[in-house]
Amino acid sequence: MNKKIKLIKKTSKTFLFTGLFLIVLSSIVLYFYTRNLLQNEVEEVLYSTEARVVHALENNENIYSLPPVTEVKKIHLLKKKFLKDTIIYDPSQDEMELFRELSTFKKINGKKYQITVRNLVVETENILVAIVVSYLIIFSLVFMFLFYFNTKRNLTIWKPFFMNLEQMKNFSLTSKEPIHLVESDILEFSELKSEIETLTGKVKRDYENLKQFTEDVSHEIQTPLAIIQAKIDSIINENTINEKQFNQITSIQKDIQRLKQLNKKITILTKIDNNQFISTTSINLTDLINEKINNYKELTSNTIHFTATKNLIISMDAFLADILINNLITNALKYSLKNNAVLISVDENSLVISNIGEKAILHPEKLFQRFYRESTKNQSIGLGLAIIKKICDLYHFDVSYQFTKNRHTFSLQFKK
Amino acid sequence: MKYLIAEDETDLQQAIADYLQKDGNICEVASNFEEAFEKVAIYDYDIVILDINLISGSGIDILKIIKKNKKRAGVIIISANNSLSDKLEGLDLGADDYMTKPFHLAELNSRIKAVLRRGKYGGDEVIEFNEIKIDTKSKAAFIADKEMALTKKEYDLLIFFISNKGRVLSKEIIAEHLCGDDSDLLDNFDFIYVHINNLRKKLTAEGAKYIKTAYGSGYKFIED
Repeated sequence: MNKKIKLIKKTSKTFLFTGLFLIVLSSIVLYFYTRNLLQNEVEEVLYSTEARVVHALENNENIYSLPPVTEVKKIHLLKKKFLKDTIIYDPSQDEMELFRELSTFKKINGKKYQITVRNLVVETENILVAIVVSYLIIFSLVFMFLFYFNTKRNLTIWKPFFMNLEQMKNFSLTSKEPIHLVESDILEFSELKSEIETLTGKVKRDYENLKQFTEDVSHEIQTPLAIIQAKIDSIINENTINEKQFNQITSIQKDIQRLKQLNKKITILTKIDNNQFISTTSINLTDLINEKINNYKELTSNTIHFTATKNLIISMDAFLADILINNLITNALKYSLKNNAVLISVDENSLVISNIGEKAILHPEKLFQRFYRESTKNQSIGLGLAIIKKICDLYHFDVSYQFTKNRHTFSLQFKK
Repeated sequence: MKYLIAEDETDLQQAIADYLQKDGNICEVASNFEEAFEKVAIYDYDIVILDINLISGSGIDILKIIKKNKKRAGVIIISANNSLSDKLEGLDLGADDYMTKPFHLAELNSRIKAVLRRGKYGGDEVIEFNEIKIDTKSKAAFIADKEMALTKKEYDLLIFFISNKGRVLSKEIIAEHLCGDDSDLLDNFDFIYVHINNLRKKLTAEGAKYIKTAYGSGYKFIED
């Protein structure tokens, strides 16, 4: 069931095919029935004429043959009567004509006769054709009208359904706009509408609750973390701990740092979902990249080569632009082999950043998913790329990943 | 120096106070909005460390009062909320710095010193430690009046060390300071060793052996 067909098209098609089938079938039936009827009529006429001829002969009237319509011949041998079609030349019209012929053999007043009566079939054929053709015309007209009426009617009846379908297609969890469905006087559509409203309402409430929960948790966790961190900072300044304790305590600092980053990133994701970044300004990403490279220059063993053929100027939120560029660069630095170059190049509508890696990502399709990691080596949180994707989705930028020539390459297309 | 710490979490408040008192500063504390309100209205402080979400009111209102009364106190906001708008609002209203929880006490301390150094809060633009002299205006460091050639990170690091002299600094604290807020590059600590070692070499070459190793993997900036 891969090929999808529109409802209206489907019902129209069914209607059309059923109609065509009925026309053909009823025409055939009509044709044979009428033909049979006409034939019987012709034969009746023949028998009736024959009976009159016989009657006339019995009364010793003179019978003149009127070929080809009536022929009376005296014969010596009586045969069985027969009925057949025959073709006879008609001199008046100079053509061969089809006749129905009845021949009977009778002994009347001691004499043996062959009585042959014929009737022209052409007339009946013409009547037959006229009947079938007029039938076809009337039927087609009625059918066309019905088809038109039916399609129109269908469209009207299904209109609330299609409008609501369109609404549901545009439904977004993150949008504050409630879903506006059209009421219908059709019971099923009305039920569907109220069910959808209940469902979307519930989904939306659940989503809001979940989002609120995430927000609350990431917010509320900051204060206890701050207390833990402050206490650890105090402990390492007491002179009563030994080296082993110091190492353990400072490794807790590292974990706090991870939690802090986690919080920060979740908050960013939630805020993008909440559409909280609405101030759009014109950002020169080329300048921003230069600034970031300057920041990271002393923080890594890798070098960063940046080539810009043109200034890349994009309309977006300044804070998100900062996060986008920051995440792209830190991601490249983090997963680069040591002492290698990270390459960044931009032109007026694209940005490409790549770093040397040992092997391709196993599941590139999962790369932009939240918390997806392929190794625990880097203790990465696994949200950096999810944030990149989210920002790109927000502004309809196109982001893609490739592994070519041992380089992990991320390409961003800003304008289509 | 006289500090006010307005923070409703007493554990955090106490830890901050303990850390800052070691330099001989006077630390007063306020545990709720009313207390903080009263203290900033009556007394003068050099620095007010202000939690935005005080239990009975907003730290932003305290900040407004400080600014309205034209107190000369420097204000550092500490907040559990890392939203940009909060940060901008705080800074717009005249706060001198904004830190998101959790933070290192050493980081807070160095930020306080930086605020004080900006002149108007009674700090000195020149940091001195024995023969080391740092002119924060021209961003130059001197040792026995001879200018040292320091990279940007080494310069930052030297100020950070001197601001937190006598305290143990783990490599996590140092890494966070050098990376700033944005970065999660901290997985790789190698670069920190490079900067610390370079700075240490440059200081040692001039006879200033102040950077000591503490507990094998930490550091302490201290006189012998």
